[in-house]
Amino acid sequence: MKLYVSLALSGLPIGAMYALSAMGIVIVFKTSKVFNFAAGAIGLACAYFASTLHSHGFPTLLAVAVAVLLGAAIGVLMELTVRPAKGALTGTIVTLGWLLVLQGVVGWVYGTQVATNEPVQIVGDGNFIDWGGVLLYSNQQVVLLVVAAVLAAGLAVFFTVTALGTATRAVSEAPDAARLLGIGVNRVNLVAWGLGGAVSGFAGVLVAPLLGGLDTTKLVVFTVQALAAALVGRLSSLPLTFAGGVTLGLLQPIVARALQQFDGIKGTQELTAFAVVLVSLLFMKRSGRRDVGGGLLPAPLQPLPRGVFAVATAVGVALAVLLAPLLVDDVGNASHYNVSQVAIWGLATLSLVLLVGVVGQVSVCQAVFMGCGAYGTGIAMGHGVPFLLAIVIGAVLAAAVAALVGLPALRLEPLELAIATLSLSFTADRFLYSWPPLASSDGNRPVARPGFANIDPGHVANGQRAYAWLALGIFVVACFAVASLRRARTGAALTALRSSEPATAAMGFSVVSVKLRGFAASGFIAGLAGALYAGLVQGASGAAFDFTRSITLLAYAVIIGVGSVPGAVLGGMIVTLTTLTFGSTSDVANGSQVSLTTMFTGIILIAILALTPEGLTGIVSRNVRKQPELVAA
Amino acid sequence: MSAILELRDVGVRFGTFDAVDGVSLTVNAGEVVGLIGPNGAGKTVTFNVITGLQPATRGRVLLGGTDVTRQPAHVRTAMGLSRTFQVVQLFAGMSVLQNLMVAAHRHTHAGVLVDALRLPGRGRALRQAEERARAVLAFLELSHLADLEVTSLPVGQARLVELARALCLTPTCLLLDEPASGLDPGETADFVALLAHVRSTLGCAMLLVEHDMGVVMPLCDHVIVMDFGKVLASGPPLEVRDDPAVRAAYLGEEVH
Repeated sequence: MKLYVSLALSGLPIGAMYALSAMGIVIVFKTSKVFNFAAGAIGLACAYFASTLHSHGFPTLLAVAVAVLLGAAIGVLMELTVRPAKGALTGTIVTLGWLLVLQGVVGWVYGTQVATNEPVQIVGDGNFIDWGGVLLYSNQQVVLLVVAAVLAAGLAVFFTVTALGTATRAVSEAPDAARLLGIGVNRVNLVAWGLGGAVSGFAGVLVAPLLGGLDTTKLVVFTVQALAAALVGRLSSLPLTFAGGVTLGLLQPIVARALQQFDGIKGTQELTAFAVVLVSLLFMKRSGRRDVGGGLLPAPLQPLPRGVFAVATAVGVALAVLLAPLLVDDVGNASHYNVSQVAIWGLATLSLVLLVGVVGQVSVCQAVFMGCGAYGTGIAMGHGVPFLLAIVIGAVLAAAVAALVGLPALRLEPLELAIATLSLSFTADRFLYSWPPLASSDGNRPVARPGFANIDPGHVANGQRAYAWLALGIFVVACFAVASLRRARTGAALTALRSSEPATAAMGFSVVSVKLRGFAASGFIAGLAGALYAGLVQGASGAAFDFTRSITLLAYAVIIGVGSVPGAVLGGMIVTLTTLTFGSTSDVANGSQVSLTTMFTGIILIAILALTPEGLTGIVSRNVRKQPELVAA
Repeated sequence: MSAILELRDVGVRFGTFDAVDGVSLTVNAGEVVGLIGPNGAGKTVTFNVITGLQPATRGRVLLGGTDVTRQPAHVRTAMGLSRTFQVVQLFAGMSVLQNLMVAAHRHTHAGVLVDALRLPGRGRALRQAEERARAVLAFLELSHLADLEVTSLPVGQARLVELARALCLTPTCLLLDEPASGLDPGETADFVALLAHVRSTLGCAMLLVEHDMGVVMPLCDHVIVMDFGKVLASGPPLEVRDDPAVRAAYLGEEVH
């Protein structure tokens, strides 16, 4: 018993940090109903900034104070970009853009993997305080606990007692009524975001030493714990949020201990947090409001005349076939490897077009489905299954996982599903991809190419070409399949479902079955993409399917326009071109350049959502539609 | 006469409030039954219990003699139940024809794979659904609306389209939730005439919730009055109209 008590207590300081970061999220959510997915990334930026200031001779406390101001400034900037977005879900996607921007900027300035900078420590590690023989806390940890507790209490009092706190609640409940009562809604929002940013930033500065140094990934993944704590607090109660964070901190060492018996298991902390996220989401009272989609989920496309549909599809396919080979390798030859890439990332984008554009659900874990496809293929081939059958098995596995993810979506709002899927992405990064049954010992499971596309010496060019045809063929078939699906019985049901669930049920469709089929179909396509990628690089590893990939895929889908099947080609080309130019995300040596891609993706995502939630294709088609009116006038 | 729809002692409790408290009613084949009562009497909740959108706290719902109390909404639809909504719930962003086709697909069979890979059943399903939808539009003389987007329709036409969509399901029992609300007197009269036409041609039973006595009196064979979640009175329209208890609940008259 004493063991478990001391185990649990060892998690107390970091639990307080989860609580602090979560309070940053809750403060923002309370006023704007937007979920700040960038909380961890703000902490990341602030921690690095504080460390830099400190190394330039700033006194510790001053460095921390300036870094917290930076957090507040980021929060204010975020509010300004979230403001034009219609609906909480769109606003939340904007914060994903900020996650990319902040992660990119820090990675670009400091290099992604190398944690050469020392985190700022308010008090040195020197002295330990004995707590009744159960546990030793360092000075540092005690200071953290005290600071977090005081701050939490202060914020809670602030929101219940002060006029601004009351105004915050008014703005969150009824913005228009608040406006009529003379409350400056924009000002209140700005203050909340600034405050939230400062708190999240402060949490990042404080937690960095506990995470074993500055690390761009760890500090962003930290968000999943903050999400869990915020959800325990039901996104509204600061004291409950604090309790949630602390409880999670106490729980994690015990879970880690319990799972210790499984060899090589990693990421149990994130796994625990993910479980807490899921449980709290499922037990959370439904808000009953179904308008969170705002402008992001576009109205279904108007029925195109048959001729136009055929032309549009033909143009899309022609683009795929003609433009793709234009991507050339560094010697100037057509690169079949890149054609395969375009097809594969096009498939990945297509799976999101289906899920977001047709099913009307947001997934921030599409790369996890790809990972399932890749590992599934690898495992099946390990049992002697031929490649072409193995990729189908991998895709079916991904479809099953997607249906599982879709299961909570039956009860959840799109915004809550975004929370769940983002948490899954973080957890997959830390836990799933290093889980022994999936990964081999070096984290890379070999996947051999099929005989007709092998790249043995002397056969490389032919092999690459054959593989490119295979990938392109599957991509084109998938595009047709999604377009066909959408215009037939299944598409009608899915589109109807997005408009009114009760009416769709009244038309004789099972809401459960229709939704899950949509998820499974999307997962299947993503799984195929992952499987083909594994074949292309001859191995399945988690690095290509990390959380940044999931977020950027969603970003590309939104930038291009989630309603557009031909747009998927564009998605494939963007991923391939950026990979060509800046190197792939798993390419550590090119860390800084990859960060540039991440950063620009984030900036474009934020800009597009501020301009139009329909994405590029939306802008184009709107302008095309306008022309006849001009002529008529 | 055989009972198409039967409620036995149905109750719905929200917290400590009985929204529906022991309602029993029967709709026979081909019969038109009106469900009336003041606001908050529990009419719409009763409707939702019948269609399966609201689980009953107690009691049973029978469709054609089969107990469907535990069946989800789509199963009940497959058994011949069809409804319209108090606030029109057409599928936004789709045309009138597409809206009707969603319903008409009840009679078609095509799964995800068939649809995605253009297997043989796909075209047939689409053709059948479109034929059915166009036939219903023609029957209600709405063919000219087929290609309009539904959110562009005025309320009167939207209600007609919702009726058309409900009829695409080929119901044996049609539930209409305040079909005349939002219509002007002229439109209401037309709607009543249309419902009479539907009834005489298709012969499906109807249960309608309505405030407007101008709709209830000429259409209904039988009227059920609800108040505070209970059945207050039940019988032929004229008889119910003159019932003192009903007048008290409805018009606030003292019971003498």
